[in-house]
Amino acid sequence: MTANESLRRVAARPARGEGGLRKRRGALVSAAAWTLPVAFILVPLLLFTVQSFFQVEGTDIVYRLTLKNYVRFFTDPTFYDTFGWSCLLALGVAVLTVLLGYPVAYLLASLGGRTKYVVAFIFVIPLLMSYIIKIYAIRSILGGNGFLNRILLQLGLIDEPWTFLVFNLNAVLLTLTVLLVPFAILPIFVALEKIPRNLLEASADLGASAWQTFRTIVLPLSLQGVVIGASCAFVLALGDFVTPQMVGGVSGFTFGRIIYSQFGTAFNWPFGAALSVILLLVVLLALVSAARFARPRFTA
Amino acid sequence: MAFRKLNWLMAAGLGLAAVLAGSPTLEAKELRILAWQGYADDDWVKEFEAQCGCDTNVVFIGTDDEIWAKIKGSEGKDFDLFAVNTAQLQRYIDAGLTTPIDLDKIPNQKATLPRFQDLTTVKGVMRDGKLHAIPYAFDAIGIIYDPKKVSSPPNSMTALWDPQYKGKVLDYDNGEHNFSITALTMGVKDPFKLTPDQLDAAEKKLVDLKHNVLSFYTTADEALQLYQNNDVAIIFANYGQQQVKMMKDAGLDVVYVNPKEGALAWLDTWALTSGVQDKELAESWINFVLQKKIGEQLSARTGFGNTVAPFASASDSDTLVWLESVEDPTKRADLWNEVKAAP
Repeated sequence: MTANESLRRVAARPARGEGGLRKRRGALVSAAAWTLPVAFILVPLLLFTVQSFFQVEGTDIVYRLTLKNYVRFFTDPTFYDTFGWSCLLALGVAVLTVLLGYPVAYLLASLGGRTKYVVAFIFVIPLLMSYIIKIYAIRSILGGNGFLNRILLQLGLIDEPWTFLVFNLNAVLLTLTVLLVPFAILPIFVALEKIPRNLLEASADLGASAWQTFRTIVLPLSLQGVVIGASCAFVLALGDFVTPQMVGGVSGFTFGRIIYSQFGTAFNWPFGAALSVILLLVVLLALVSAARFARPRFTA
Repeated sequence: MAFRKLNWLMAAGLGLAAVLAGSPTLEAKELRILAWQGYADDDWVKEFEAQCGCDTNVVFIGTDDEIWAKIKGSEGKDFDLFAVNTAQLQRYIDAGLTTPIDLDKIPNQKATLPRFQDLTTVKGVMRDGKLHAIPYAFDAIGIIYDPKKVSSPPNSMTALWDPQYKGKVLDYDNGEHNFSITALTMGVKDPFKLTPDQLDAAEKKLVDLKHNVLSFYTTADEALQLYQNNDVAIIFANYGQQQVKMMKDAGLDVVYVNPKEGALAWLDTWALTSGVQDKELAESWINFVLQKKIGEQLSARTGFGNTVAPFASASDSDTLVWLESVEDPTKRADLWNEVKAAP
């Protein structure tokens, strides 16, 4: 034991009396840390899970346990088809955000010094703006008489306004991708940042081409970030009930919309809760499998 | 000395008792009104107070549920009269929260527009031969169209289905109203009490409508933005004249029309509570606001139609179908989801 170490041990040993206080304070802090997530996340989740086993008769919620709501989901194609289609849509968004986000993150990571953090921050700025305002803006840009069409018409590049960009599936994919791409850029950027430079240098020294280095070193080591980014985008896209409705026209009907209507016009909270539980299970599955995949298996 | 003190105490006690009892001779009359913003403006209230020599206390509400909470919550005792639409009014009558109105006390009702003249024909305001509410403000839910984009001016909701407007139609995102207008185009007499067969037929027609629609909207603001950025010819105008005004203010050239098969329309009324303290005073308020001058101001300020002076909401020849509670709101919401999920 070096002198330095023993000094530290002495300093770390709490004085008598103060120890109990510190212990109690520690317990208090950890209790507080538990209280918040339990009170504001677990209890509400539990409440709506319980709610999902009730039913509505007329305009009243009847507190008698039933599986009716779940049976209804699995027997009515309106619900399970819309759910399947919403999952596919969210998957498409996840793939697109990663395909778009990866090159951006790669460029960011290859920037030198402080510049990269400044540029990374610029990519985060859209996250600070209101979601609805962004959708409105995108709609004004892509509309039949929108900004994009007017510019293209004035430049003489097109004769008829493009209508394939808004109020259809393209618009939903495009808008969700634009809105969610920062969630893919950031984790990929972080993963790329963590790759030690000397690995890349070693690869180059051993005569690998830039493509070989990317394929065998950079990509595998950044895959964690890709998975985290993709699952974030998937989860957020799956739960979204505003964007598809606002830019998708008549094809913008998603599972989130059905849940929304159960709590609004339909006034069937138990059924809405059951649908939410189903959505939650799929989201949890996506996150857990992403977490398993993203767990570091080796350290560089 | 002691005697004088006792006298003074007795006088004070008597005065207090009089105030507590609300004796009209010692205290100014008070009228307690529960209304929507725009239904009891300050200048009207001041004029009314000067006329009746009374105090008026106006409370504004923001939602139908808030009215229910306030009136039902106090069993009608906290207010003398309130503004409520005819669809909502029914549950107040059911619960015995209203006091029938004496039409003789409201002479201005005689000068109302033709459609409000005979109150027995205004669905919802009468119950068992007794008058429970006086119509005050309304608006119709018709069609807004761009005159430059239609081959001939539309005069029916069937125009929403017209293939020549494919992809140029904006529809309001609400199951109840969409089923009601579809039922009206099908010639159904009562669009608010549809049979399962009628609902089924309307659902099929709504799936067709969906394929003609560019997008659904929920707020008037949203419809305006959609209209400005896209090639839209025709709108199911849920917000009626307010929506027209908003679009015209934005410099757009649009026309409003009520469909010939009948336009859905909401109708707000004045009703007396079961706890009304001074019935005649409350009735004199209703009579007061049924003046032509106030009707015109109401329409100019709110954009709603009034019952005394003609306004753009509807001409006398238009058919209006006063909104009622539908047979099963949950069912309609479910069917509307099916329509939207249909391929």
